[in-house]
Amino acid sequence: MAQEIKSITLVAPAFKGINTEDSPLAQDPSFAESADNAVIDKRGRIAARKGLSVLTTDKTELGTGNLRAIKEFRDNLGNTKIFSVGNNKILSGTTVLADETPGSYTITSDNWKIVNFNDNVYFFQRGYEPLVYNNTGGAVVKLSTVAGAAGVVAAMYGNEVLAAYGRLWTADFTTDKSTVYWSDLLIGHDWTGGTSGSINLSKVWPDGFDEIVALSAHNNLLIIFGKHSIVVYEGADSPATMRLVDTIAGVGCVDRDTVQYTGTDVLFLSQTGLRSFGRTVQEKSMPMSSLSGTITTDIIRLIRETGEIFRSVYHPEESFYLITFTNQAITFCFDVRGTLENGAYRVTRWPGTGFTCYGRKDNGDLLIGSRFGIGQYTGYKDNSLSYRFKYFSPELTFGDASKLKFLKRLRPTLVGGSGANAIFTWSYDFGTLFSSAEVGIRSQGRSDFNLSEYPVYSELSGYGISSTGDVDIGEVVVVNKFLGDFTSAPTIGSGGGALLEGDSYFDTAADIFYVYISSAFVDLDTLVPASVGEFSDGELVSRNAINANGSGSTITIGLEADINGHELSIQDINVLALIGKTL
Amino acid sequence: MDLKEILESIGGAGNAVNTAAALGLGTAGLALAEKGYSDLGDIGERAYAGLAGEGGLAEQLRGMLEFQPYTVTSATGGQFGMTQDPTTGQMTYQMATSPEEQALQQQTLANAGMFFNQAAMPVDQREQDIFQRMRTAMSPEEERQRLEMEQRMAAQGRLGVRTAQFGGTPEQLALAKAQEEARNTAMLNAMQFAGQEQQRQAQLGSGMLASGYVPQAQLLAALQPGMTAAERQRQSLSEQAGAYGQTYASGLQGLLSSALGQANIAGGVGGNITRAALGGLFG
Repeated sequence: MAQEIKSITLVAPAFKGINTEDSPLAQDPSFAESADNAVIDKRGRIAARKGLSVLTTDKTELGTGNLRAIKEFRDNLGNTKIFSVGNNKILSGTTVLADETPGSYTITSDNWKIVNFNDNVYFFQRGYEPLVYNNTGGAVVKLSTVAGAAGVVAAMYGNEVLAAYGRLWTADFTTDKSTVYWSDLLIGHDWTGGTSGSINLSKVWPDGFDEIVALSAHNNLLIIFGKHSIVVYEGADSPATMRLVDTIAGVGCVDRDTVQYTGTDVLFLSQTGLRSFGRTVQEKSMPMSSLSGTITTDIIRLIRETGEIFRSVYHPEESFYLITFTNQAITFCFDVRGTLENGAYRVTRWPGTGFTCYGRKDNGDLLIGSRFGIGQYTGYKDNSLSYRFKYFSPELTFGDASKLKFLKRLRPTLVGGSGANAIFTWSYDFGTLFSSAEVGIRSQGRSDFNLSEYPVYSELSGYGISSTGDVDIGEVVVVNKFLGDFTSAPTIGSGGGALLEGDSYFDTAADIFYVYISSAFVDLDTLVPASVGEFSDGELVSRNAINANGSGSTITIGLEADINGHELSIQDINVLALIGKTL
Repeated sequence: MDLKEILESIGGAGNAVNTAAALGLGTAGLALAEKGYSDLGDIGERAYAGLAGEGGLAEQLRGMLEFQPYTVTSATGGQFGMTQDPTTGQMTYQMATSPEEQALQQQTLANAGMFFNQAAMPVDQREQDIFQRMRTAMSPEEERQRLEMEQRMAAQGRLGVRTAQFGGTPEQLALAKAQEEARNTAMLNAMQFAGQEQQRQAQLGSGMLASGYVPQAQLLAALQPGMTAAERQRQSLSEQAGAYGQTYASGLQGLLSSALGQANIAGGVGGNITRAALGGLFG
């Protein structure tokens, strides 16, 4: 007897991100079992993340080490300088990493925290005398060498530093885990004079004992994160009179570098997952509303790794919060545009990126530290190499897990991915043996998804000629000077006149774009654009159908693709399945 | 000058008898006059003997006005006695308060000595003692304030605050300052109080000293009426002696007057006889 082929469309699959907490059978198809190197794009689709465009060309000082922190120094005069740390050195610059470590200052660890404060940038690490840099001095120096420095002693060599309310605040010392020191007003090198002071929290912890991990400032509050509790002081602009307004027991912070201020809230990683300070205060540590509620088990397992180095960043331009477990090479990307029904952020996973620290520049650029030096979150290659975007759905039952399904056809709607090969996989009944089919996505041509460009060549701009096209695939059209397609070099210019500088043609035989420069046609690929502008010129949409096979009561569908210069997102997946007998 | 001499003056020296004889009856008259004259001398002798002679008025009055020993006893039992040694005539007075008064006096004088001793002691130890007592009185309240502050600081999570500006919190500094000011004030008050107390002890000593002599003073005060009474008695005796003397003298005066009259009469008669007898002689 003929059976009905049932068409089910998974619209914007995985737009709710990963969910490894709920039962696979009961899951909404909008979740994903796996979403690697993915983000939730601005249209709510799961898409490949951007890549790492390495800016550093000379990382001699970094050697084989990893960068562990990046900070952009800015002062009131507009001076800027990028500082980073790695290979037991204080480094500066992006293209060439220069050693800024003070003389006679030995560093054996790179767990620095760097903050800007009052035209200075300060470096704090437990057990190390703090360092400071300003544009006037032009060199990183030990804090005690600054004129007027006071109280710079080993007792205040904290691991955590916060610039807030006109002061520097430091905590988490080698032998003292309960004291917070604050500097004199606007004087980051005076820790014993003026209105400087300290507070010992040993009698304040709600659970009787805790250790300070991190500090944060929000809404005129000084938030002190312990490992297992949080205490909140208000009136920190006058620390001598600031008073305790809230304590939260049972929720703490695992690491200083997981705390990020989002403008309206403070995000931090607790022992049970990502938390929002605002919501934690409201809910008084109720565990059910963790912002990482869909990956709680996974994240707890990662947190428990001994000696883990955490790094995080909040990037409002991309609307995500990244938390990286550097030793385990796992990054979780939390989309902060909104939350799910259970209060969790939509989350995706970036495995094996090699990202080891982050820094957001004032202009919104997201800098990423790695063993390659400093890079920028842009483009769709990781240091010129591809990376794999992976999506796997949860077990799909098509409404009835008791009936047999015969998967007939998959018809995904993919956006972007020009020239990439997308590999679709499927398996039945929780199996790990996947069937697969590869789909080649056509090259976009002149109009790439969200990537049409205006490459500016210095050789052409000198002639007043602009150009457009995809640099990566060599498609450049020189506006107003394009002579046409030829199988060999033309000898006559536009309008029958002589060839002029900047004239161009496309050699259809050799598949090369030539530009007439200095009385000779030059392969455009040999030129390097000075800059590339972009414009939106439509999207590449692929709707290739894949014939599938096999049967089972539940189905898992996956997509893997190497991202190699082009964005790729999944708009939907249409599944045609024959519904069989009841098992 | 006797009559002879008188007559010799009249009739020349050695001529008195002649004169008298010459006078005839004049001699008898003269004899009578001489008798009157002699009687006047006797009267003087008698007056002298009656007034100043042995057993006379003066001697009687002296006996009457001799010092009379007396004793005054106060209402509280104190006594004052005035005696005269009968042999030497030396006056002796004795004054004794009652045993109770003596005990009181001894007590008050002892107290006076104690207060004076205390007043003479250095005040620094006393200042310290007073300060300690004041601190003892203040400490419970200060402890309550401290505990209250501690609880408030704990509730505000500020127990561990240390600042370069205030040491601890501003409130803790304010409390510490207040307590320290109270401590300083107590110290100054203790010094002031100790000085005042020293003065008071000196005053008390003086008072006690004065009080110690009150029984004596009161005894002396009590003597006044007794002495007055003795004086009255003495005055009475004096007046009595005076009256006696006056009466005695009056009697004597009367007697002398009578004798004088008699003498005058005899003299007058004698004179007249003489004048009559001698009138022709000189006439």
